[in-house]
Amino acid sequence: MRRYDLIVVGAGPSGLSAAIEAAKRGLKVVVFDENEKPGGQLFKQIHKFFGSKEHRAKVRGFVIGQQLLDEADKVGVQVVLNATVIGLYQDKEVVVKIGEEVNHFKGDSIIIATGAAENMVTFKGWTLPGVIGAGAAQTMMNLHGIQPGKKILMLGSGNVGLVVSFQLMQCGCDVVALVDAAPRVGGYGVHAAKVARCGVPFYLSHTIVEAEGDEYVTGVAIAKVDDKFKFIPGTEKHFDVDTICLAVGLSPMSQLLKMAGCEMEDNPKRGGQVPICDEYGRTSIPGIFVAGDVSGIEEASSAMIEGRMAGVVAAEYLGYTDETSRDKELTELTAALDGLRQGMFAPKNRGKAIEKTEEGIDISNNLLKKGFVADDEIERFPGVTHKVGIHPVMECTQNIPCNPCQDACKKGCISIGNNITSLPIVVDGSQCINCGMCVASCSGQAIFLVDEDCGDGTATVTLPYEFLPLPEEGKKGTALGRDGKPVCAAEVVSIKTSKAFDKTNLLTIRVPKEYAMKARFIKFA
Amino acid sequence: MKKTAEVIIIGGGIIGCATAYYLAKLGRNVIVLEGSDHIGNGGSSRNGGGVRQSGRDVRELPLVMYGIKNLWPTLSEELEVDCEYHQDGNLRLGKTEKHRDILTKLANNARGVGLDVRMIDGDEVRQINPYLSDEVICASWCPTDGHANPLTTTLGYYKMARRMGVTFISGEPVRGLAVVRGKIRKVITPNNVYEGENVLVAAGLDSRDILTSVGIDIPMTNSLLECLVTEAQPHMFDQMLGTAEADFYGHQTKHGSFVFGGSSGLERYNKDNGMVSNSSKTAPCICRGIMKYFPDLANAKIVRTWAGWMDASSDGVPSIGKVDEIPGLYVACAFNGHGFGIAPAVGEQLAKLITTGVTDVSLDELRYDRYKAKI
Amino acid sequence: MNSVNDRTRDIGPFVPMDDDDMLICRCEEITKGEIRRAVHDGMWTLTEIRRYLRTGMGLCQGQTCSKLVKGIVARELGISPAELEPATSRVPMRPIEMKIFACEACEEKEAN
Repeated sequence: MRRYDLIVVGAGPSGLSAAIEAAKRGLKVVVFDENEKPGGQLFKQIHKFFGSKEHRAKVRGFVIGQQLLDEADKVGVQVVLNATVIGLYQDKEVVVKIGEEVNHFKGDSIIIATGAAENMVTFKGWTLPGVIGAGAAQTMMNLHGIQPGKKILMLGSGNVGLVVSFQLMQCGCDVVALVDAAPRVGGYGVHAAKVARCGVPFYLSHTIVEAEGDEYVTGVAIAKVDDKFKFIPGTEKHFDVDTICLAVGLSPMSQLLKMAGCEMEDNPKRGGQVPICDEYGRTSIPGIFVAGDVSGIEEASSAMIEGRMAGVVAAEYLGYTDETSRDKELTELTAALDGLRQGMFAPKNRGKAIEKTEEGIDISNNLLKKGFVADDEIERFPGVTHKVGIHPVMECTQNIPCNPCQDACKKGCISIGNNITSLPIVVDGSQCINCGMCVASCSGQAIFLVDEDCGDGTATVTLPYEFLPLPEEGKKGTALGRDGKPVCAAEVVSIKTSKAFDKTNLLTIRVPKEYAMKARFIKFA
Repeated sequence: MKKTAEVIIIGGGIIGCATAYYLAKLGRNVIVLEGSDHIGNGGSSRNGGGVRQSGRDVRELPLVMYGIKNLWPTLSEELEVDCEYHQDGNLRLGKTEKHRDILTKLANNARGVGLDVRMIDGDEVRQINPYLSDEVICASWCPTDGHANPLTTTLGYYKMARRMGVTFISGEPVRGLAVVRGKIRKVITPNNVYEGENVLVAAGLDSRDILTSVGIDIPMTNSLLECLVTEAQPHMFDQMLGTAEADFYGHQTKHGSFVFGGSSGLERYNKDNGMVSNSSKTAPCICRGIMKYFPDLANAKIVRTWAGWMDASSDGVPSIGKVDEIPGLYVACAFNGHGFGIAPAVGEQLAKLITTGVTDVSLDELRYDRYKAKI
Repeated sequence: MNSVNDRTRDIGPFVPMDDDDMLICRCEEITKGEIRRAVHDGMWTLTEIRRYLRTGMGLCQGQTCSKLVKGIVARELGISPAELEPATSRVPMRPIEMKIFACEACEEKEAN
């Protein structure tokens, strides 16, 4: 039987990372993936990632996917696509459907990196055509170039719901509402803010009563829920929509591990049925390891580190590296993973209601309830300062592990310091040269360059703009506030694009100066 | 938790559930102990659903014939569940002259005890089932055979027995039995001791270990059998099918899927990893077997495969009845992979035996102590 | 798991609900009411529910409904969903045509 040192199941971020680390150390590695394209979810991730340089921050997901593939290729990893693993049998035998036949392979070690699948919720009409998973919507848009619908309601305010809502708008859909039964926005505030300022209303403590329509979705009714998630009569609202997107969490696809006989547990904190494993992915069966969402739902950045850990552990398990170098690598990787698992959204803070930032500033409650920081809240955050001339305004109000803005400014205007979760501050006495690098570097699209008083009664605001077509200079439109509501008339002064901005365009708009700290987006008639 | 009863049944499979049901109908007070977490978790939920007489050893034929005549036709109504019973005949297929010999011998034996089963040629086979390939040259045909859904039937017995007051306790593996004052009395589990005037051991392969605690041995060994199921297909045929070589057997279900069991020849030597796990070799082999008989099914998608341990006795026939040397003890085990179709009859007759001491169908040929040395 | 489970425990009567006709398992078209009713008929494990009703036995193999079924059964039994063990995972992980499953790549070809 064909035998490999390592068989990896799943060519997503964790699987590829694991394969690379193992192959670098001399293992003969094969990766099987059932899809026609490798990369798992990475190729659907068109947004820039958070984190630090070592986490590939500010690089878009699909670019990271390509980087991983190139690296895998360079170190001799064999990636087999359209290869469906149909079973993981005893003696580490993997049976794979490739083309029109089944193939039997043995692995001296196996890493399962099969990721996760979307959850569903039920409501009247949930089986109508037009009710789809947010991940499915992403697949349609970003892999197949198909618009999932015209008018869409999104259920779920976690990062998936927020990111996909924004992508739907980028794809030309009208997102009529973002709804969540929870009383607070679940995902990053910056993701929420960029959706809210485009005019999408947030309905927290609301959920879907019914998907309307006989043959397919023609509308949706939502209603407010009480603290026991029961509908409050009389609070129903109706929207005309053709599509309802569900972003209500993920469940690990751990069936292969259960099949192999690994000890499993039901762990709600990890998203469901997961293998019992240690921090490096070692399961109860020696030589079978796990990495990524299959062992607990997180995100791609941590999945890549977990994958690398599993790759290193597998290498040592088979004698390709010694315990000392393994432990050294694992220490470094653990530090990198710890770096990601910090801040308000760290696993340890899940479910906790945080009231103040690490700096001791009251958090924005409006951001959690409506998706945007209110005008009377924004001034208390350290990234928001006032100055004569052009200067950066960083509307970054939550402690998340992310720092590309600090490196982006060559003039040293922005500082986060050594603590990666600190809110960015504007360095006293620094001089902004309006290069725009900070605006483009912010994965949360939360940095603006503002000249509060141009001397003629107007102000300019430079904002990140990721929509097509790009407007022409001189085009007139309506400036929208953080809440997505019109604040004043605005005119496009300039559009900057640059390879260094990596597809984030910088749109400078002119508004009356009293709206300098209010106008954050522009809509064209 | 209730720990004493007139009858304690060890094993929550179809034999245990059916016996409990019929005992409850006779007014008996019963506790059923199931070792695993699920009712009907052994062969009861892992078999191919055959309700057939043809192909069986003559010693067990009277019992199964009794069940098919008296119990199966009304079982769905009785259990208030769709048992999906179909009595549309069984074709046992042959492709070679050697197969014809095997089938002819089985058919002759069965006719000897009054079963309507006869040999037919390839053309007649294809008149009954036009989907069979030309490779089929003969078959034994028993029109009163059929098939049913083992899952709903087993759980249907459980549901009704439970409704009639039988106590079912799952996750309660029996470690041993104990005799008190010359009679069976105690049933011992890791954390509890149950007491009953009568004890029925119907625990499949585990019966051997349980009976060992009171010095009774029924020679059995295990064999790992596998089945598979396809996605739903348009309706094709209603017969139960088998082959002379037993390379596959099965039927199309009411749902439209095909359930097929089969063998690779390695059954006796397969291992497991603590779970009942499939061998990587078996399902592909079953698929190859099926396609030789049913070329039309080549594109049907397999959605699941599963395995089950079979309790095989040295003569291929079960042990059912009273253990004379220990008053109050009864056994029903070693069904050799054909315990489903016979289960209603076994349950009903055992209930009678336990309650009244007599049965309608003689169990003499199935005694637990019939195993003798060859010389 | 193997924990003692006395099936005579009182879980209360079956009370009809407004949304009992809602489909839960789409592949096999099983409703919430059927699942709740099965619990009251004694099907207290996800494996028993699956065998009794066919939930999760369709083409998607329970990928969509298993968590939903789990929630319904747990609520009916008055226990936490985490206490219910998911049904066994079975080969094949994805439906596979019989002719492909039957075609095992031969050893000689693998020699490379």
